[in-house]
Amino acid sequence: MSLFLRFRLRNIQKNTLGKTFYSSKAEEKIEIPNRIPRGPTDILRALESTVSRDPTAAHYKYHDDPFLIPMSNVGKRTFAMAQESGRKAAHWIRKEHADLFNHRECEPPIETFFPKITFNKNSKVTEEDLKNVIDDVQISEAVNVYKICKENNIEVSQVSQQKLLELLCYYNSEDTLDKEFIEERWFRQSSRLKEKQRKIWRDGNFAEELFISIENPTAEVYSAIIQGMAKHLQVERAWQLFEEAQQKGIIVNTDTYNSLIAVSNYLKEGYDQRWSFAFDLLSDLNRANLKPNLGTLNSVLKTLSTMGTGRVTKTYTLQVLREFKDIGIEPCLASWYYVLITFCKDRGPTSTILTDILNFVENKEHKIQDITDTNFFVTAMDICRNHLHDVDLARRVDKMLNFGSNYDLMGDSYKESIYYRNYFVLLSESLPLEEFMRDIYEKYVPHIYVPEPGVMGEILKIVDINGAIEFIPKLWSDMTVFDHTNRENLLETVLDIMVNNEIESELKENFSNIAWDIFNRIENQNENRTNKIMFTGDLLGKILTLVTRNKDFIKSCTVMDKLDKGHSTIVGVPKIEALSLFVDQCIEEKQPSRAISCIQYCSDSGFPEATILAARLNEKLTLDENHLNNLSKIVGDLSTMKAQ
Amino acid sequence: MILRNLDKKCLLKTLERQFANNYATVTEAAKESREEFKALNLKHVKGQVVQKRAPRKLDVLPPRSKQMATDQDWGNVWPGPRTFHPSTVPLPIRQGYVEKGAPPDKYANAELMKIPNFLHLTPPIIKRQCEALKQFCTPWPKNLNTQEKLIENFPIEVTTSNYCLSSPSIRNPLARIVTLTIKVSSLSLKGAMDKFLRLVGERYNEKTDILTIVADRCPLRKQNYEYAMYLLTAVYHESLKVEPWENLKSEADMEYYNWEKNASKKSIEQIFGKPVEEIPNSKMYAEAVSNLMNEGESDYTIAKYGEAVRTLLNLPKTA
Repeated sequence: MSLFLRFRLRNIQKNTLGKTFYSSKAEEKIEIPNRIPRGPTDILRALESTVSRDPTAAHYKYHDDPFLIPMSNVGKRTFAMAQESGRKAAHWIRKEHADLFNHRECEPPIETFFPKITFNKNSKVTEEDLKNVIDDVQISEAVNVYKICKENNIEVSQVSQQKLLELLCYYNSEDTLDKEFIEERWFRQSSRLKEKQRKIWRDGNFAEELFISIENPTAEVYSAIIQGMAKHLQVERAWQLFEEAQQKGIIVNTDTYNSLIAVSNYLKEGYDQRWSFAFDLLSDLNRANLKPNLGTLNSVLKTLSTMGTGRVTKTYTLQVLREFKDIGIEPCLASWYYVLITFCKDRGPTSTILTDILNFVENKEHKIQDITDTNFFVTAMDICRNHLHDVDLARRVDKMLNFGSNYDLMGDSYKESIYYRNYFVLLSESLPLEEFMRDIYEKYVPHIYVPEPGVMGEILKIVDINGAIEFIPKLWSDMTVFDHTNRENLLETVLDIMVNNEIESELKENFSNIAWDIFNRIENQNENRTNKIMFTGDLLGKILTLVTRNKDFIKSCTVMDKLDKGHSTIVGVPKIEALSLFVDQCIEEKQPSRAISCIQYCSDSGFPEATILAARLNEKLTLDENHLNNLSKIVGDLSTMKAQ
Repeated sequence: MILRNLDKKCLLKTLERQFANNYATVTEAAKESREEFKALNLKHVKGQVVQKRAPRKLDVLPPRSKQMATDQDWGNVWPGPRTFHPSTVPLPIRQGYVEKGAPPDKYANAELMKIPNFLHLTPPIIKRQCEALKQFCTPWPKNLNTQEKLIENFPIEVTTSNYCLSSPSIRNPLARIVTLTIKVSSLSLKGAMDKFLRLVGERYNEKTDILTIVADRCPLRKQNYEYAMYLLTAVYHESLKVEPWENLKSEADMEYYNWEKNASKKSIEQIFGKPVEEIPNSKMYAEAVSNLMNEGESDYTIAKYGEAVRTLLNLPKTA
């Protein structure tokens, strides 16, 4: 018997003797207030509302332990997907060995923990089974069960048939990702799908078969199949079926009209044709005595957003918004998203409509009403940065995002990273660097957002412009953690900043360490990497400069050796300043042979300054015969040099 | 310091693991190297030379407690109950005992992980959570401001328990038990009190005047509650009933000796020729007689009785 950790809660309830809650004395009437109704999770939600995001912690899906907190974008993805793959493995085991998971001790039973029931040709099915698999969104299983029903001549009611058809149309008769795999949904880049907007409806799929098999299709049947086809961009057939339904005098529902309006840009070429098409459909809707809904508004706005940059489009958009407002339909975030992309086109004139929109939607908690709602925040931030360059507006958008549970409308990881990329670059360009690093960088990096190499490059550029080299050590340590050290351009930028800003402080040591770190990272690259970073003469020269400035003679010698030995493989030569610095260092350390080999390298690389360096060496140090001979071999007669 | 020790520990662990792997296939090369531990190889098997890959060095973040601002919102960092974690708690806590020196600090300290902590329930957080829960609370009835009024208006108290435990089932058989308590004086029993107490038996606590009914015979709490209420109702009405034979109760059937109603009173009234109230020392006599009858004959009661009789009749005391 296992030991339970047990909590015991005592409930004490006071009762009156009589039925009434009033005492007998009239002057002392005790009124007990009515209980405030609440749902089963309301208390938890109320407690949850007292907790907000802790910027020093990773997302709660990761383990809170320094060894297990992901630090780069790749890490975040890998860690989360690793968890998800574990979950998937568990699902797989459960599916393969369903017979082992029949220990049904739990009370109340948790259906999702039990293995899913599978059906084969010989299994006895009822309509109830079909309903269950439809409710469980098991598409292929639903088709399977339906087929078995048909084979065994089991009557399937019209309602179930309709439900099955709707399910198949919505999912294009393909199995969908289990709703339990939220991480996969979060990380798969669904917005990339937008790029390939093409027909994905599988012609002749089971939904069509089912549609054909239904005798005397009703309005609902037509609505389902038309919506399915329109959703998966089989637009011609959808339109054909719509006309067919109209000829038969069948009135399809409002959502069907919406789905057709939304695909008008696939059906009609010109802008005017599209608008008149949408207009006709709306008139049809009106004639059919159907009420438009939010979906209608969004579809019309979507059509308008595909109609170029003309002034007419904008006027229409505003008119549509006005009219829908008059019939009591409030736009949702998706509607505003379409308005934004209509007004703020890359090539069009600048529009400040976002300010007006924010006045409507700010300080409100939004619930998802349309799948496109998730595009709003990322688009708004994009407009703040690329269209308006307005920091205050960006801050307002960000505030709205963090209001209540609005963050749920972020969409997926891809949108999130684009959102923060825009936000970061905009803020880094507009705020004073100190403020940006203190208030924004410290807060968001790395747990909420890890800057991509591009954004890091922007930040480095601004650091360079401001000469704020004190941030370099911090940025470099972040870059190593974020896996940016394999980006040649970033390494060069960091080195450039450090070389160009010469300072006399403790930073010198830091810089030297960073340079040495870069050297080692390039030196110890994985053999199997595809695009390895190659040393260039310039890169090594910069590293040499930085190390030498800190008077790390041994390290300088290592770098110099690398330069010298890799003469044939290393592209380019370092700047003469770096070499001259090294020679000076050799003189200081009284290492003439090192200096001579450096001068040899200079002369081999064709620097005319080799002679000057040689002269300086000769001047500062008393060289022995051997060294003098070597030097003269390189640069010729030394006695003449002195004179120069 | 501790961190470095940790690193060493990790290193030792990986080494251990590698040894376990190479246990049977120890190589000549391994034997040669001085640092390697010679593994026991009873069968003298010559294994393949396994090239050890240098372990990849992992960059580890510093503990996040170091990044925390001094004015941060602790409720966000530690929102719920969880095991202590040194890198999340920015406090220099120590716990444990060592023979010499200070108690071990928070890193890798199992003592700190063992004990339950209340880091999620700091006073400001409790305050904040209470604020959030206020929306579900109704105000306390205004007139119900004293304990007396509470008992007067709501004499019945029903106690049940809920159990929260980690098990496949959320049901707990103990949750069905319903305990009902009531102050008996709040029932208007008057003459039926005796019968009531006889019916409830040991469920009545004389000292506190509280009747406790525990109902646990039904499987559900609701059923048990209804049963307890039924019992209370039944026992109340049963005790109020008066049977015709109750009037036939004679002196011998009385539960206890009541001097006022007995022959002893009448006889002293006869002897003195006046009502009891006017007889001196009659009270003492009455007490002694009732004690003798109620408590039974003992040296003490008899002695008392004798003394009372002597005082009543003005007889000299025995020497």
